Amino acid sequence: MDEFQTGEETAFVVDEVSTIIKESVEGAIGGNAYQHSRVNQWTTNIVEQSLSQLSKLGKPFKYIVTCVIMQKNGAGLQTASSCFWDNTTDGSCTVRWENKSMYCIVSVFGLAI
Amino acid sequence: MEEYNSGEEVSFNADEASVSVKECIEGIIGGIDYNQNKVNQWTASIVEHSLTQLVKQGRPFKFIVNCAIMQKSGAGLHTANSCYWDTATDGSCTVRWENRTMYCVVSVFAVAVTC
Repeated sequence: MDEFQTGEETAFVVDEVSTIIKESVEGAIGGNAYQHSRVNQWTTNIVEQSLSQLSKLGKPFKYIVTCVIMQKNGAGLQTASSCFWDNTTDGSCTVRWENKSMYCIVSVFGLAI
Repeated sequence: MEEYNSGEEVSFNADEASVSVKECIEGIIGGIDYNQNKVNQWTASIVEHSLTQLVKQGRPFKFIVNCAIMQKSGAGLHTANSCYWDTATDGSCTVRWENRTMYCVVSVFAVAVTC
């Protein structure tokens, strides 16, 4: 009689993903002020670093990571996402980070294979 | 002897999705000025309508639709996406739209469902 453990290793764990994202953001832009000439590099670094850490988790998921960096200038920014997927296995996590000169919003979507 | 058609119907058609999304955006915020009280409603409507249109195509995909609306005020905005998936079947498309008072960026990600 075999027992199969499911759920633990094949579910999208929001806390784990959230930690990975926060580390990627801090590593890429922690302590930096908004600079137009570097922001391109920063968003790229953040998504690449996050994705690489997520794939290292070795879970049977496809991932989509999006990152938005906006200069603090009084402008309003609103974002929304809508997903058509399998609620039991797929999930998402959004991390909002800011410092004195900019906002950074990173969203990760994990879809079970 | 039977012939099976494959490939045509199972990869994401970015152009078609792009057209569909542009129509949704125009329908919801075309000709309107940025309004802080309503922007919440707009982003929600745009993602829901876009998703509905995409699902109507009846293809075997999971979808994620992301919408960002930003007021035009001289601030810099930068976005990036990175995806870990099957490049043969999955795809994305991003639509950038603007009017006098705001920018709207909508991204659609489609991931094939293996049944």
